[in-house]
Amino acid sequence: MDPADGIAPISKAIVRPARRPVRPGLALDLRVRALLALTVLLLAFGAVAAQLVRLALQGTPRLRVTMADASPTAWARPDIVDRNGRLMATDRAVNSLFADPQILLDLDEAIEKVTAVLPGLNAQELRKTLADRSRRFVWLARGLGPKEAQTVHELGLPGLGFRTELRRFYPLGPLAGHVLGAVSVDNRGLAGIERMLDEEGLAEPARGADRNTRPAVRLALDIGVQHAVAEELRRGLRQFGAVAAVGLVLDARTGEIVAAVSLPEIDPNRAADLLDPELLDRLTAGTFELGSVYKILAIALALEHGLVDLDTVLDVRQPLRVGSHVIKDHYPQRRPLTVREVFLYSSNVGAGMLALQAGSERQRAFLDKLGLLEPMRTEAGAVAPPQLPQQWGRAETITIAYGHGLAVAPLQFAAVAAAVVNGGEKLTPTLLLRADAPAKHDRVVTEATSASLRELMRLGVTHKAGTGRRAEAEGYGVGGKTGTAEMPGRGGYREKSVISSFLGAFPMEAPRYVTLVMLFEPQGTGETQGRITAGVNAAPVTARIVERVAPLLGVLPRSIEAHVQAQAPAPGAPAFDAPQQAQ
Amino acid sequence: MHRTLNVILLLLALASAFAVYVLKYDTRRMEARVQGLERTVDKLEGEIARLKGEHAHLARPERIEPMARALGLASIGPRQYLRVGASPPAVAEASAQAATQR
Repeated sequence: MDPADGIAPISKAIVRPARRPVRPGLALDLRVRALLALTVLLLAFGAVAAQLVRLALQGTPRLRVTMADASPTAWARPDIVDRNGRLMATDRAVNSLFADPQILLDLDEAIEKVTAVLPGLNAQELRKTLADRSRRFVWLARGLGPKEAQTVHELGLPGLGFRTELRRFYPLGPLAGHVLGAVSVDNRGLAGIERMLDEEGLAEPARGADRNTRPAVRLALDIGVQHAVAEELRRGLRQFGAVAAVGLVLDARTGEIVAAVSLPEIDPNRAADLLDPELLDRLTAGTFELGSVYKILAIALALEHGLVDLDTVLDVRQPLRVGSHVIKDHYPQRRPLTVREVFLYSSNVGAGMLALQAGSERQRAFLDKLGLLEPMRTEAGAVAPPQLPQQWGRAETITIAYGHGLAVAPLQFAAVAAAVVNGGEKLTPTLLLRADAPAKHDRVVTEATSASLRELMRLGVTHKAGTGRRAEAEGYGVGGKTGTAEMPGRGGYREKSVISSFLGAFPMEAPRYVTLVMLFEPQGTGETQGRITAGVNAAPVTARIVERVAPLLGVLPRSIEAHVQAQAPAPGAPAFDAPQQAQ
Repeated sequence: MHRTLNVILLLLALASAFAVYVLKYDTRRMEARVQGLERTVDKLEGEIARLKGEHAHLARPERIEPMARALGLASIGPRQYLRVGASPPAVAEASAQAATQR
């Protein structure tokens, strides 16, 4: 501005307001920015448009309704299979219906519709539980099949929902029910092998459980043998009018329980069966006086202590007196008998004399060593503990020698008897398949005593006077001992109610399996001329069982077995294997 | 020079944002697919378990035995075992025993 001018040129100031000079290139910059913004907006809208077009062309993705709780609740359990891998128990997904009383709109309508579809529900009880609006979760019906669940779903009632639960399913029905046990409504084990699974931590919460990679639990049972034993026992039950029966097939070398039957059976699919005392597992949950089969142990006791040999003669003509009781023989021979004959004619007096020779102390110690006096366990739980006499005097020594006064679970007795015949090695019965060769067992009797007992037991079946004649199964060399025990009743023993049992083993010269058959309260029939002793009922049932199960167990008839062994490359190595051993 | 670089970087940022969006969308889609497949696997596994149970139920000895008997089958008898190279009379006896068992 020129100071000489005096007056500032106002117009100039108006016309040219003071502003910063425009930098070259700014116009271009603005345009670029606008363009850029435009591009971004275009891209964004373009993306939205493209997505819309794509969705319009593709159509909406199919809607999937996912249940809030799709994975099963409750407990997942491993499958149970038999020794050959045949399925005995498995988990099955089922639908369980629940209600949320707060959401339920019309109580009457809901109850009416639901009970129409599920007639098993009680409308009055349902009303009572659903009327309580403070609750948010009430089970209505658990374990529905897919069809029922679908029908309820289609009712479209608000406030009702389903949860997938796992339910135990036993495809074989009552077969081996006592061994398997049962589970609760939440799939927890209540008894038997099922309870073992819980105790061992093999049952796991279903959520996250990998149901398909879990290994199955393999039992020692063979379904085929189990069925054959059950069938033959059922036949025996009908034929002899017995009220209950027990059958056991025990591997004499490993202690594996190949078949364990107690009739009447329980159906593991119905857990309530466990509570029925009539359906008790008589093999493990009850103790019984088994009668003359105990003479095996009385003779083993005397042989073991070197008191007698099989040819020692005992004068059994006079009955034994214990206080006011007189102990007599059922088949009195009226002459002195050898130890062999004491066994053959099942002489109570002879067995009592042998036990007296050994004495109470040694008898008790011997039975204890065999494992007959201590409580026993299997994987399925505790076996009923032995009922020992309150005092063990002369009277008890005599009566225990012929099987009265000491009640044990049949399984425990069979395990002890197996040790006596298998060469003298103590066995621990197991329901699970032994993966490896059995460890060295404790020796309870000498090899020589065991061999003598095997000779006697075979004689009991082959000798014309033997009580076990009808147990002979052609070709398999069955041996054994009969026992007929009167059942204790009010005020003493009941003569007409007996437990008849047959403790057997086959093939007798080198037993592979020990069997026990017991019939409770058999009746006399025309065929048995009214007799109810074990020789006419339990023994023939054993024969039929052995005939059926020996081929299943790969036991060859002796004529073939001898031939196979003669050709075997090395002694002891089986030339051809049983089917189940080949696996 | 800087401007060009900025423009390129901006474009790159936009492009990667778009790529991330696409990836995320794809991931969601795949997740849904995985869930669907898992559901299918679950369903099929349940089905397998059911069928195994059904098979065991149908093959239970209690049901098979009467059928086998109706077909004339029986347990193998001790005389039906023969040595390899058994004499013809022994073979005849074994088959006779098999016939009587029916």
